This record gives sequence, C-alpha cells and structure tokens, in this order.
Amino acid sequence: MFGPTIVKEIQLLRRDPRALVRLLALPVAFIALFGMVFRADADKHAPATPVAAWIDPQAAAGARIVAALDGSLRFHVVPVATADQVRRQVANETFEVGLIIPGNFAPTPGGAKAELVIDTGKPRPELEALRGPMTAIVTRAVLGGDAVDVITTVAPPGLRTPVAQASSFQMTVPGNAVLFGFFIALTCALSFAEERRTGTWRRLLAAPVAPWRLLAAKLIPYVALGTIQVGLLFVIGAVGFGMRVGGSIPALAVLTVGVATCATSLGLLLAAVSTTEKQISSLGSVAILIMGLVGGCMLPRAIMGPTLQQIGLFVPHGWALDGYNTLLVRDGAGFADVAKPIAAVYGFALAFMVAGLRRFRFDQ
Amino acid sequence: MRGDHVHPARWYEVLMGDVVLELVGLGKRFGDRVAVANLDLTVRRGEIFGLLGPNGAGKTTTISTTCGVIPPSSGTARIAGHDIRTDTFAAKRAIGLVPQDLALYDDLTARQNLAFFGQLYGLGGAELHARIEWALGIAQLTDRSDEIIKKFSGGMKRRLNLVVGLIHQPTLLILDEPTVGVDPQSRRHIFDAIRALQGGGMTVVYTSHYIEEVEELCDRVAIMDAGRIVTSGTLAELTHAHGIALEVELEGDEVAIAGAVAAVAGFDATRDGRTLRFAQRDTWAPVVSAIEASGARIKRLGSQRADLETVFLALTGRGLRDA
Repeated sequence: MFGPTIVKEIQLLRRDPRALVRLLALPVAFIALFGMVFRADADKHAPATPVAAWIDPQAAAGARIVAALDGSLRFHVVPVATADQVRRQVANETFEVGLIIPGNFAPTPGGAKAELVIDTGKPRPELEALRGPMTAIVTRAVLGGDAVDVITTVAPPGLRTPVAQASSFQMTVPGNAVLFGFFIALTCALSFAEERRTGTWRRLLAAPVAPWRLLAAKLIPYVALGTIQVGLLFVIGAVGFGMRVGGSIPALAVLTVGVATCATSLGLLLAAVSTTEKQISSLGSVAILIMGLVGGCMLPRAIMGPTLQQIGLFVPHGWALDGYNTLLVRDGAGFADVAKPIAAVYGFALAFMVAGLRRFRFDQ
Repeated sequence: MRGDHVHPARWYEVLMGDVVLELVGLGKRFGDRVAVANLDLTVRRGEIFGLLGPNGAGKTTTISTTCGVIPPSSGTARIAGHDIRTDTFAAKRAIGLVPQDLALYDDLTARQNLAFFGQLYGLGGAELHARIEWALGIAQLTDRSDEIIKKFSGGMKRRLNLVVGLIHQPTLLILDEPTVGVDPQSRRHIFDAIRALQGGGMTVVYTSHYIEEVEELCDRVAIMDAGRIVTSGTLAELTHAHGIALEVELEGDEVAIAGAVAAVAGFDATRDGRTLRFAQRDTWAPVVSAIEASGARIKRLGSQRADLETVFLALTGRGLRDA
C-alpha cells in the first residue's frame, strides 16, 4: 500500500513542472539574490569610500589625517578646493561623505573640531558605518604615536567559534531553504483537495485499505520530497555559492527531516481546515509567507526588534533557522548544540499533525 | 453469510448462494438530516439492478455506505456474504466501484492508473500485468495505454473509469452514473461491456439519471426518493403497478371539471390542469360513465404508454430537484 502510493505521488509530482519550479528553481534564485543583498564579506571587496576633503594647510595634523585615511583602505581622500565646495558636493551627492579640517583645528576641549559632512538623514546603521570608522581613524591620527589596539574580541567559554570564510550564504541558504521548504505544505494540501475534487479519494476509501494507512501513504512522500528539496538546496548552497557547514551533518539531516515533517503536517492541517483548492492556495500562501517573514527567513531575526524576535519563536521557521545557523556557522556544532531547535521543530510538527487529524474528514 | 443476520424472507436465496448484495435496514443520517432511511434490498447473482431516483434521493449515499466509504448510521450492507461493518476489507474486495466522477489521475498514463488501483487491491507481478492487459482490452485502450490520460477524450476516460473498477475482478460492480457526458459510441461500448460482464456472472448495480438506459440494461429496478425505496421490481411489474394507462382531457368551466374530479374520486386518478390520468387502463368504461354523469364533457380520451419514466415521474413527482 505504501509503496504504490509513494510511487504514484512521485509520478504525479514529476509531471508537475510548476511544483518543481516552486520547490527548487525559485529558492535557488532567491538564495542568489538575497546572497548579493546581504553580502557579509562586502568589506573585503568593496572599494574605499571616496571622501571629499578640504584640509587647511595651517592645520597641524592635516597630513597625518590624510595619510591615516588613505592607509585605512576604508576611505580614500579626494582633495577639494574649499570647505564650501565639500559641502556642496556632498549636498549634490557627488560624494557620500566629506571632511573639513579648519586651520585652527585643535584636539583639545574647546578647540575647533573637524567637520564630517554627511546626510544625517541616512539610515542609522549606514550613518554609523561611516561615522564610526572616520572618527576612530581621525582621532588616532591626531593623537599620533603607534596605534595600539585597546580592544580584543574573545568568544565566551562554551560558545563554539565561527567557521572561517563564512559568507552571507550561511544565512541566505537556510533562510530560503526553510521558506521554500514549507511550500511543501501547499503542494501536499492541494493534492488532498485535488483527490477530493476528482473523486479519487472516494475511490481510495472504497479500497480494502485502512484510512490511516491511506493518509500515511499520502503524507510520507511529501516528507521525503521536502527532505530532498531542503537537502538539495544545501548542496547547491555549498557547491554553487560556497556556503560552509561547520557543524554535524547528521544533526543537519535530523533537523531537515524535522522541517520537512513539520511542513507536511502543516499541509495536512491546511487540507483539513480548507474545503477548496482556492482556499488552500490563498490561506496557505499567506500563512507560509507570514511565518517565513517573522521566523527570519527573509530578514535575519537579529536585525528585528526585540518583540518581533520573540514572535519569531512562535513559528517553526524561527527555531529551524536558529538550528541551521548554529550548524552552519559554528565549527564542530553537534546534536547537543541544536537539541532545543530540533525538539521545537518536531514539537510544531506534532502539534500541526494532531490539529490536522482532529479536523480532517475522511468522507468529504 | 452468518445465519443470525439473514433476513428470514431470504434464507433460501442465501442458502443457494444467490444473493450478492443485501442491504438490511441500511440508514445514514448527517446530523438531523436523514439521507438514507432503513433500506432493505436484495440483488441476486448475475443481475443488473437499476437504482433510479431524482437528485438528492440518496442514491450516492446508499452507494457510499454500501462500499464502506462512509459508515452507515444504522443497519448494514452485506456483499457476497461479507458484512461491510464487521468484515470490511473482504466486503470491499468484493466490490468494484465506478464513481460518477472521473476518479482517475490525469497526470498518469492509463496503465499507471490501472497499476496503482490494482495494487491497492493486493494485485502484483504477472497477475497484475495480465489484469491490466485484460482491462485495457475491455476499454479498447491498449494502443493508448502509455499516454497521459489528460489528453484522452471524455469517452476514453469514462471507459478507463469503468475498467479501473474491474481491475480486481469484483463480484459486485457498482456503477454510479457511468455514462455522463460520453459520446453515443462510448455509451454503446460501455453497455456492451456491462452485458458481457453480466454474461460472465458478474452482478451489477447501475444508477443513472437516464431512464432509457435503465430500461435497456436492467433486469430489476428500485426507485428511490427522499432516502427511501418507493418501489422496486422488474420493469414489467413496475409499469403494470404504477403505469398511467388512461388520459382524459376535459372541457367546460371549472365547476364542471371539479364535478368530474369528484365523480372519479374512487378510480386512483391524478389531475394535471384539465387532464385526468388513471393508472388502470381497464377502468375506462366506468370512468367515462362517471364523468358523463357529472355533466362534464370529454374533449379527448386516450391511453399513454406506461414506461419507466412515467412510473418514475408518477412516484417522484414533476417538481424540480436541485439538491
């Protein structure tokens, strides 16, 4: 019973090109797109930001400041004739940032300050990304002497170190794999609706097979398909986009099976609460996208507000991504490190399954 | 068949192994609504039994409970001696259901559809292969067997829908409106196939809206309405018992017609405007005398052929059924 049904479901899926596009082609495109948007290694390749600079020849530290900025690889000084010209060129967006060092510049309390010319209406992270390094470089140049690092970065005990050469794909591959992995729920629920619409479900119920076996045989292929889908996306991420896996592959597999089971259970629930294919499509798409959004599939939860970060843990996506992030980013991470996310994902799967079974009507 | 469940009036049939389908007080309720009420019915081996009824009469619910698709609320169905409630799988194996819908997988080939449903009934290996070839032959789809059925015509799909129900060679074939939307050639082919199956000893229950199909195919007929069987028997028995044989068209004013209606009150008449219909042809002489005595005038006197449609409409009424 299981074998023929699984074969039948796979035969049907093979002949549904839209499903294959939804399950593989779209997520790969999104991984590439999001990967470019969130390039974490951008600093290594980005050109130095040109700085329109007017430095009064009388300014004592002027030469040191120019040398420090040029030597930082972060900025590149472009001399401009006057201070007003600096302001105009930033205002008309010829330059993103400008620097004016007046002749009476003095790094002492009450002394004249250097002027950082920048659109203060920029988003705060963007503004700080320019202001912070600029302030640090100019301050160190003015203070003179050998630069001394006064801060060192140390991971606390018990927290595994991140993998070397991590890229933005460490984030975008699992994000999109989970987002699109949950679309299996839609495919699964639609297959139930189609069986009911065409009458094949009635024919199946008339066969000498226990209803629970019919149900299980319909769901198992989707768990398998979801696992293969997410697994393939990880392989494509690793081979095609250089994503690295720092942690345990078996733990990654167990989490992936959990995600696929959870998505399939959600599909059963969708099929149980909806009566038509239109209802499933609209309700399912909205639910899956919202869950993906708050769960951090499209934007990392880390950059969300604290409330939204907590809300993200009320959907399986949030937990799944926490688990994947640990396994992909942390060297040597194993089952113990992701026990909580794995338990949460399987818990959601169980909850969806129980709710779906309670509402599912075999005879409709 | 277990003796303690046998209806006393049918013991001899059971002993002879003659009964293939037996409904015993079969009922189905959906909440407060009674879809099927206390049906008793027997279909014998080799019969083609017609189940007729207007929309919402309860035919499909009867079939669904008989096939174990939905559980009955009361009573039971026995198929080839197996109780659908207690010996479910054996009963289901004895039934081949051909639903009204084209219950097939459009994205599979004809062969894949047959293989899948055959495997559900435990067929496999060489036996399954042989059954598939046999079924494709009956449906005359052998040369199209490896095509995706999405491309098939309605008639081809209907034929495949029929043989999917036959793949496990059931004792009882239940056909629910099997010819909806098919061309005359496919309909004729389906009829021929059903007769051939009957010739091979298969028992068939046939539901249809097409009364002429039931007239042509069926040995016995039951007419259902509002969840009950209102009559059953051979075509001859039904037309004799319920056929409208005499029609009298009256003329004159309403008072005269009302007088005539009162005068024939004892003759089992139904009124449709100015026309009175009588079930018994041999009553024409006293009917005419009574009408003339009432003072009404007869405009036309005729007889109507008593066919199954006449019986059907007489028993279920002429009102539209949208359920």
